[in-house]
Amino acid sequence: MSGGTLVDVAFWAFAVAAVVAAWLVFRVDSMVRAAYWLFASFVAVGFIMVLLGARFLGLVLVLMMAGEMTIMAVFMVMFMMNPAGLNPMTMVHQHRTAIIAGVVAFAGLAGVGLVADFPDRPVAASSEPTAELGRELLGDSMLVFETAGVTLLATMIASIALAAKRGRFGDAAAGSVAPELDPEPPPPDPEEQAGHDHHHDAAGGKEAGP
Amino acid sequence: MSWASPLPAVALVGAVLTAGATAVTVLDHLAGARTAGRPVRLLPAVGRPAARSALLLLTRRSATPRTDAAAGALAPALLVGMAAAAVAAVPWGRGVAVADVDDGIVLVGAAFAVVMVGVYLHGWSANSPLPLHGGYRFVALALSYEMPLALVLIAAALPAESLSIGAIVESQAGMWNVVRQPLGLPLYLVAGAGLAFWGPLDVADASDLAGGTAAEVSGPARLAWAAAQGAVLTAVAVVGAGVFLGGWHGPVLPGPAWTALKALALLAVLAGAKHRLARVRLERFVVVAWAALIPLALVDVFVSGALAL
Repeated sequence: MSGGTLVDVAFWAFAVAAVVAAWLVFRVDSMVRAAYWLFASFVAVGFIMVLLGARFLGLVLVLMMAGEMTIMAVFMVMFMMNPAGLNPMTMVHQHRTAIIAGVVAFAGLAGVGLVADFPDRPVAASSEPTAELGRELLGDSMLVFETAGVTLLATMIASIALAAKRGRFGDAAAGSVAPELDPEPPPPDPEEQAGHDHHHDAAGGKEAGP
Repeated sequence: MSWASPLPAVALVGAVLTAGATAVTVLDHLAGARTAGRPVRLLPAVGRPAARSALLLLTRRSATPRTDAAAGALAPALLVGMAAAAVAAVPWGRGVAVADVDDGIVLVGAAFAVVMVGVYLHGWSANSPLPLHGGYRFVALALSYEMPLALVLIAAALPAESLSIGAIVESQAGMWNVVRQPLGLPLYLVAGAGLAFWGPLDVADASDLAGGTAAEVSGPARLAWAAAQGAVLTAVAVVGAGVFLGGWHGPVLPGPAWTALKALALLAVLAGAKHRLARVRLERFVVVAWAALIPLALVDVFVSGALAL
């Protein structure tokens, strides 16, 4: 097999892997698995970038996403009432909005893919994509990237502030109540509250029933 | 940029990782004996890797209910794969390399970053509280050492004016980076110990969690995990030897021998640190990492950059 064929085979393998992994993000039942399937999808895209000669960008994508997907999983577990992310939960919700957004996004991207006139010029072996990227980042595109960077930094600080245990207004857990260990607690009954023992008997009887 | 053909490349990287993991077990045993005041005898230490492997292979597998078997199998494979990628990017002698890619230091950074995914998934897969706790500990640890690690690697690339590890080794012909950038190697070793969940930073697999992410695995799976840790340590040592200790530069001996000796020396330092230093509490390490190690690593980058200009 020649080098060109090998690259083609690798491209299609990574392309299929990227799509299948992205689909699995919505099929699994836990936030951690969803986050890491998304990571797998990003890794496949990163390898496609490496195949395209953008080695630096592809590797940096893998580097960043390894941390970011883990952070995403941890933040999702922190913000949702799902102890340690261990409880199974569906990854699909708001079906109507999701379907409309998905169809519109797919149509838009497919339209670009069909209509756009992609350049077809092999990269010269002497080109230095990493150095060119550096000049671009600190040259003409500096304002764009700095704006995006500062926006992301503000988002990170805000999310850390939201997740922090202590904030300027005191303890984040102030006034919160520990969740009921019984998944279906009996409805509160003012009359039953006085007779505490009786209350427990009633709950026990309910659990034992079919 | 030089590339080896696939079969010798896989054989070489596999041999390096196997030798490295074996050396880790031997050095760990020797350092443990020395620290405890027991007689330091080479022969039992050399037999230790085989004995431990045989014992683990014969031990029964333990199982927890509703295990994530795929994640459990992926975790050690991911660690070994990432260690192999990092080792492959380091040249052993001038022009003697498996894949001295021109973005080698970025490849190493990416491979080391993915280790976090492997260790977290290992803790996650057992569906048990202590391993999961270990996994979350490792995430906190990794997010703290990741920045100093990336920064000291970037600083090492500055004098070479290249991201290729071959060029970084070449740039140390006159003076090794360990002298030129005194902050680099210490910070790298702290991050490396964390990366390999080793020694004072073994918070993920700590004994106070009954083994942490490895608390629920036994038998061959445990052997795979131990081998994966040995492979990551080997990658840390080989990359450190190339990036900070001048790689193949040295008198008399051929280049690859120097690289191997320097990697072994780093493994010995890490093995000694495991037995000499007390385990660091995670909360304290996170504060130290963000408040001291990252600023120190930034100083390393700025000074190295100013000197390289």
